Amino acid sequence: MSSQQVPSSLRDILADVLEISPEEVTPELGVGTIDNWDSFRHLQAILAVEGEYSVQFDPSRIPELTTVSLIQAELIAKGATL
Amino acid sequence: MQNDIERQDLRRRIKEAASAQDARTAVNLARRLLAVSSKPADIMFCASTFTGIADTLTSQLGAKRLKTYIVRSVTIEPILPFLTTEAVLSNYVLDMSVGGYGSYADELLNPQSALAKFKPDLVFILLDLEDIAGRLPALCADGIGDAVEAEIGESVARVEQLLRSFRSGSSARILFQGCVVPDQTSLGDVGEANLPHSLTNAVYQLNQRLAAVCRTISDCVFFDLDHLAARHGRANWRDARMFLASRLPLSSASFGIYAGGLVRSFSPLFRAPRKVLCTDLDNTLWGGVLGEEGPEGIATGSVFPGNCYLEYQRYLKQLSSRGILLAIVSKNNDADVREAFQIRAADLGLTLDDFVARKISWNEKAASIRELAEELSLGLDSFVFVDDNPVECEAIRQQLPEVAVVAAPVEEPWKLIELLSAQPFFDAAVVTDDDANRLNEYKAQAQRAALATSAGNRDEFLASLEIVCTFLSALDAPLTRSVQLLAKTNQFNLTTRRHSAAEVEAFDSSPGGQAVAVRVRDRFGDAGVVGLALARTEGNTCSIDSLLLSCRVIGRGIETALLAHLGENAVRAGATRLVGEFIPTKKNAPCADFYVDHGFVKDATSTDTSTDSIFYQLDLTTAAPESPRWLTLEGNESNEFSAGAVVAS
Repeated sequence: MSSQQVPSSLRDILADVLEISPEEVTPELGVGTIDNWDSFRHLQAILAVEGEYSVQFDPSRIPELTTVSLIQAELIAKGATL
Repeated sequence: MQNDIERQDLRRRIKEAASAQDARTAVNLARRLLAVSSKPADIMFCASTFTGIADTLTSQLGAKRLKTYIVRSVTIEPILPFLTTEAVLSNYVLDMSVGGYGSYADELLNPQSALAKFKPDLVFILLDLEDIAGRLPALCADGIGDAVEAEIGESVARVEQLLRSFRSGSSARILFQGCVVPDQTSLGDVGEANLPHSLTNAVYQLNQRLAAVCRTISDCVFFDLDHLAARHGRANWRDARMFLASRLPLSSASFGIYAGGLVRSFSPLFRAPRKVLCTDLDNTLWGGVLGEEGPEGIATGSVFPGNCYLEYQRYLKQLSSRGILLAIVSKNNDADVREAFQIRAADLGLTLDDFVARKISWNEKAASIRELAEELSLGLDSFVFVDDNPVECEAIRQQLPEVAVVAAPVEEPWKLIELLSAQPFFDAAVVTDDDANRLNEYKAQAQRAALATSAGNRDEFLASLEIVCTFLSALDAPLTRSVQLLAKTNQFNLTTRRHSAAEVEAFDSSPGGQAVAVRVRDRFGDAGVVGLALARTEGNTCSIDSLLLSCRVIGRGIETALLAHLGENAVRAGATRLVGEFIPTKKNAPCADFYVDHGFVKDATSTDTSTDSIFYQLDLTTAAPESPRWLTLEGNESNEFSAGAVVAS
């Protein structure tokens, strides 16, 4: 799958936080699939995503949102416009 | 959407500047990006860009690079990109290392800890109330809290021990963060405010005492986090969800403010504050244009909008009272300005005396500021320039980039103080007596320098200074000052003999002895006791043992007056010959020709070959030294008395 399947706003945020190029942000990308996405980076990514879309995730769900597609699905469930 | 296009464009250009290793452009563009966007992603973009050009930031912009260790008991990692970015915007590059959550005490106490091994330049100590005084919330719950005081005392003592222990093994600068007053407690706002031992009151007290401890540790600042939280809004400061889930002490909306506060707080540990504020007059110090509206027409005083300007004037006055020098840089007629300060004195928060200098002319302001820098012997990087005219502001930015420029908001004069206080350039963690006295010192220096350039020749200049020399006994200088002068004066010191207090007293009390000090003042200020001479008359010869003058006053004829004074006393004591002695040192070359310049003849016969002393003599009956006519002399009479006593003995 390619980065084209990730909405560009989400792709750009994650690229900034993870310090990678937007093209590398594919739906399967997640914690542990690249070195940069460790637990602290995960927290940063979640906070950045929350800020961008003005949503708040349930803290107990945060550790489970381990891939781009899971984050995307959670955003949609929260009613965010991607 | 427009905003998004601008963002993307700025980001592209920042990337280009970074890959071209153009640090200045990258930082300036980043400043613009962050002015239009507060998106966390943009901050992270800036942080990783800056990290990539850290060396270039240091080499091109002179950014101060600091090995920074973060001692913490809370989650700080998501805030680090904000800290990196804020630091670079203030011209610091932080190479950061973060300690463990639970190991903060060990890090500070153990000389083998990761902190000690890191050898930091700067240490942040960021602890939560839980860790500093974890029992307080329970002890304060009833608001009566018998044990609250004791708990605060113990907590402060524990922190003090941590800080002292760390300080004993490291000279790193320390920032210690205070606690935030909890926003929601079971007592509720009324109880918190009214009960003596509410948690709110306890945390206020705790913070004050922690700050007091920090004052006793060298190179340590207290970071008043509660103040920052209050300003930003307590309601949005924390995010209980993230604190409870991840020990993140702040809401993500507060990261930027927090990082900015940290940087501003530690900065005075590394940088001296700017020293001079140059203010424009029309539409800056007062409302309106003096040349058009006349002194009665300008806006200042207790009525709006004049009170906006009065507030600004008072703010300047406050800066001045802690040693920030004020100067007027204005295109105006000097006479008009003086008239305005006179006529509107009751409506102004400042008088002309509050300004160290005035540059009121039709010259370029950049030229005026350059002149001022020279007169005050201060670098341009010590200057702040405040002006409402965007053209003048831009001219200074371009011609004198070291000068910090604040554009006064003409349409919103009430905002000027806010703009000024948002800038860190006058921040200081300590203020000394010397700072507070700085105005007088520099005023005198600036006026002398101005006079030196305007006066036609040297004599005229010196005469215009209206120098008064007062001679007094070295014992009344007082004696401690005399001994200090002997001990510290190097340049204009003919023999550099470091006499003790007892030896000075011996000169004063022995028959034919002289121990004379000279105090100097001029129309600009009092320099205090700045010169000293010791001599002894035996038979027909008066030998000068010591003669010295502080280098601050050399070149104004005071040394000649001191010599003449010695000569007069010697004649009264029966001397016909004055003998001077010079012992060369590495530093006293400036006075090597002192005796020859005053008509003395080198005495080859009496040169003592076992020492470096060179002797000179002068016939007092034909060539007694005379004091320069531009000096006014005082205090000869007391020495007449002592000379009389000598004759009597």
